[in-house]
Amino acid sequence: MDTIFLQAVINGLLLGGVYAAYSAGFSLIFGVMGVVNLAHGELIMLGAFTSYWMFQIWHMDPYLTAPFSAAFLFVFGYFIQRYIINRVIELPHIMSYILTFGIHLIVANVAVKLWTHDFRTITTSYSGANAALMGLNIPYARLATFFLALFVIALLWFFLARTETGRAIRATAMDKEVARLMGVDIRKIYAITFGLGAGVTGLAGAAISPFVIIFPEMGLEYTIVAFCVVVLGGMGYMPGALWGGFILGVAQSMAATYLSAGISVATTFLILFFMLVFRPTGIVGKGSVA
Amino acid sequence: MTRESRKRLFWVCFVCSLVVVGLIPVFTQSEYLLRLASLVILWIGMAGCWNITSGYTGYIDFGPVVYFGIGSYATAIAMAKYGSPFFPAVALSGIVAAVISAPIGLTTLRLRGAYFAIATFAFAETMRQVALEFDRTLGVSFFEGSHGITLPMPDHENTFFFYCIFVVTVAVVLVHYSIEHSKFGFGLKAIHEAEDAAEIAGVNTTGIKLRAYVTSAFFLGMLGGIEAYWITYITPADVFSVHRTVQMVIMTLLGGMGTFLGPVVGASFLTIVSEILGTTFVEYYLIMVGAIIICIILIMPKGIIGTIKDWKGLRFI
Repeated sequence: MDTIFLQAVINGLLLGGVYAAYSAGFSLIFGVMGVVNLAHGELIMLGAFTSYWMFQIWHMDPYLTAPFSAAFLFVFGYFIQRYIINRVIELPHIMSYILTFGIHLIVANVAVKLWTHDFRTITTSYSGANAALMGLNIPYARLATFFLALFVIALLWFFLARTETGRAIRATAMDKEVARLMGVDIRKIYAITFGLGAGVTGLAGAAISPFVIIFPEMGLEYTIVAFCVVVLGGMGYMPGALWGGFILGVAQSMAATYLSAGISVATTFLILFFMLVFRPTGIVGKGSVA
Repeated sequence: MTRESRKRLFWVCFVCSLVVVGLIPVFTQSEYLLRLASLVILWIGMAGCWNITSGYTGYIDFGPVVYFGIGSYATAIAMAKYGSPFFPAVALSGIVAAVISAPIGLTTLRLRGAYFAIATFAFAETMRQVALEFDRTLGVSFFEGSHGITLPMPDHENTFFFYCIFVVTVAVVLVHYSIEHSKFGFGLKAIHEAEDAAEIAGVNTTGIKLRAYVTSAFFLGMLGGIEAYWITYITPADVFSVHRTVQMVIMTLLGGMGTFLGPVVGASFLTIVSEILGTTFVEYYLIMVGAIIICIILIMPKGIIGTIKDWKGLRFI
């Protein structure tokens, strides 16, 4: 157990926490509605930009802006689902993939018009600061985001398990016809679910904003990672996002340390591919199979 | 109309349109128009390939571009590194793509719905990364990484490429025709309607799906090879671009999935619209494409051909 190995594991776990944070919403949306949201990365982008502008204009700490990002994205997601995606929810799922891809194009390119292609970063007093511990480096910002991710997923889980709306969401996911018969307004539940997924994702976007490069076209990459994470953990199974995030994070960090940085992305997709073929229900086997 | 006369009418229309399209290079002097026409038929071919697997079966393939890319690389490597002539290289592209697609199809086609879509997508992205990083990781010079490969300069006119693409696209369209009128095609449609029931009824579902998948990979490989020589320069980011996949999907969807004319109508329409919008409103082009996609899905989810069919009760062919 040398230091390089330990450092790779720690980097991987921290990265995994970040992955988990922005994939939970994707998993929720898929699990309840069967919609593969190809505009997921754009939600992260909007969350990160909300933080960026609040930091620029009011000099607010990015972590303090997180609730605002979440609230903004909740409203955004609610209306997108309510007025657009709900119209195709009864059609074959392919329609929703393509619809969300259209949303991806519009949001990303309107953002380009508004904010140009520039790469932006948020530089805070703690940017780039590390805690040194027995020869290991732990960046503060990533550590904070890591704990925030755990907290958010716990919160989401609590909401789904313990509240009346959460119960309605779970019922809809299990069997929407029966849920409808029990008096659940599914269309409203869908809108709330999408809003919730988007809100959590926006919060994650704010949480990663201190250490990532923010630009309008950042989204697609994040959508792809969210795909992988959610498949690894099991589609629609909320704590699965954590499992998937950690596995992916550690695998990528190992590949980057011992092979090369470029090949680590290929590793991701290889893992994803074999996972789908041999164990489509995810690593703990609790995901849903279409 | 009886079945026979309808068939005769179809063939007359088909041959007439082939002749009209085939004569474009003779009548136009403008290189721009010729390139645009080549682009349109290239996209018809590509969208058609996607339609063969996904349109008829309802299995949404999100990584068809991978076979296009493999084909491009096969031609590029054969021509640039081993000095092969063009036609054998293109044939090789098709064969390589088909050979690779067989084991991939066999494993991924067991998955359904979103899982199949994501698995194919993952495979396409993996291949792009492999093409990008293979050389640097192993210290060899084969795929040339992000530098891409420059092919030998063709001493052919645009007309030559027009006819190359034209031949492959016509082959793809003919495959569609055979799908509409064969047991194979009924099998594919049965898979779309109710796969389990089809299996119980004795349809070899896996075999049929695999056949469709390999067929489309073969043609995509050839189209990739031709385009590589046409453009003479390929990079992984370009030939494995996810936007090509999306274009194929959207064109087919716009025209009508699982219909014979769908890819033809959709690809022609979208390529020409993109050309007009792309040159007139460069800055708003992608926003408009997004808006068009959303409108199609919301207003006519069955595509142009599907909507016409429903609306008038018209039956093509």
